[in-house]
Amino acid sequence: MEKLSSKKFIVILGLLAGLVAIVLSAYGNPKNMAICVACFIRDMSGAMRLHNTAVVQYFRPEIVGIVLGAFFISVVNKEYKVTKLTESSTLLIRFIGGIVMIIGALIFLGCSTRMVLRMAGGDLSAYIGFIGLILGVSTGMIFLKNGYSLGEKENINKTIGYVFPIVLLILFIISITTTIFAVSQNGPGSMHAPIIISLICGIVFGIVAQITRMCFTGSIRNFIFFKNIEMIFPIFVMFLVVLMYNVFTNQFVLASYGPIAHAQNLWNIIGLYIVGLSGTLLGGCPLRQVVLASQGSIDSVFTVIGMFIGAAIAHNFKLVSSAAAKATETNPAVLGGPNINGKIAAIICILILLFIGYLGCRQGNKNVNKK
Amino acid sequence: MSTKNNKIIITFNTISQAMKMEKILKRNKIPGKLAPIPREISAGCGISWISNINFKNYIINIIEEHEIFIENIYEI
Repeated sequence: MEKLSSKKFIVILGLLAGLVAIVLSAYGNPKNMAICVACFIRDMSGAMRLHNTAVVQYFRPEIVGIVLGAFFISVVNKEYKVTKLTESSTLLIRFIGGIVMIIGALIFLGCSTRMVLRMAGGDLSAYIGFIGLILGVSTGMIFLKNGYSLGEKENINKTIGYVFPIVLLILFIISITTTIFAVSQNGPGSMHAPIIISLICGIVFGIVAQITRMCFTGSIRNFIFFKNIEMIFPIFVMFLVVLMYNVFTNQFVLASYGPIAHAQNLWNIIGLYIVGLSGTLLGGCPLRQVVLASQGSIDSVFTVIGMFIGAAIAHNFKLVSSAAAKATETNPAVLGGPNINGKIAAIICILILLFIGYLGCRQGNKNVNKK
Repeated sequence: MSTKNNKIIITFNTISQAMKMEKILKRNKIPGKLAPIPREISAGCGISWISNINFKNYIINIIEEHEIFIENIYEI
């Protein structure tokens, strides 16, 4: 156990996370999107035809790998523990929180993991969006400091926790052995590393993420709250590794926006504000939710299901930002960013999260008074 | 080799209770700090108070006297 938390080991794991991102990008994943939990869940949602945006439909093996890797290592380390909040009604909050979290991410065009990879690629819109993530976490901390809690957790039957990884594995097998699932022929959904490389990289990333407790919102929370950099460390190492690779291979391009991104910076800030606030209220960023779900948190399973549904909602109701594009000979420049649907949805998402924060404070203070 | 526990870890369900405890313990000059829950206790991302085990009785008295709502107490 001590070895798991030693600084040297954490650096090695951060290095490994960075290498995974490099390998996936080199083998075909979209630029600056080597690992993006939000985008990949969105692609998987499309593959399962929950939405029909043709350019983003592919059952990403990386997510399956993250789940299997996190599940496996949590069992090996005896950290696999199936829990749920005692108040079952909070599962609805977790589900809605997942929907809101991914809508925010798709307005920014990436989760907090992709934000770091975009930053390592020189994408200035990601640096600006990072401000939103910090503001979102800071807002969440106001609720935390005022007693926010969704209740106590209870241990439940271990076998229930197997459902999530098993179902995902079955869906993955269906995706590679049948033609039932949709597969993009163009666009980001058509850009992917070979299946086996994606799966192995995902497994490695899942193991790393579980051991390091990698969480982009939790790490900011801990730094703001008590100046603790333990959780920031592996993320920073991953960023450095990818940054150095990009610089040495001339792929670092300082630009107002990178590939599959936009420079409507107010909405980049708002999108990641939603991710930061929801991550703080739900106990983890999108990546952390997937890892927690894999190691037995039934609450996080509901959040991840919410993310799948939220991705479908986002595309079906055109809430997703479009990527910016420079003018070409045949096409005019595209500003990118969210349209009016997306902007209204973003405001509604923030209001929902503030309401969840209020409910959580009421719940938390009620529990304290009861004791 | 001796494996005597030398730390007391208090875990919380809410950050507000963790902050309340920190404030009271600092006022009573009891050394320690808030930190992520050690891996030895949990793989989750909760908050804990960590002190030297010599202060165990003082800390438990303060928890009872001020009705601080905690999740659990560990010694590692």
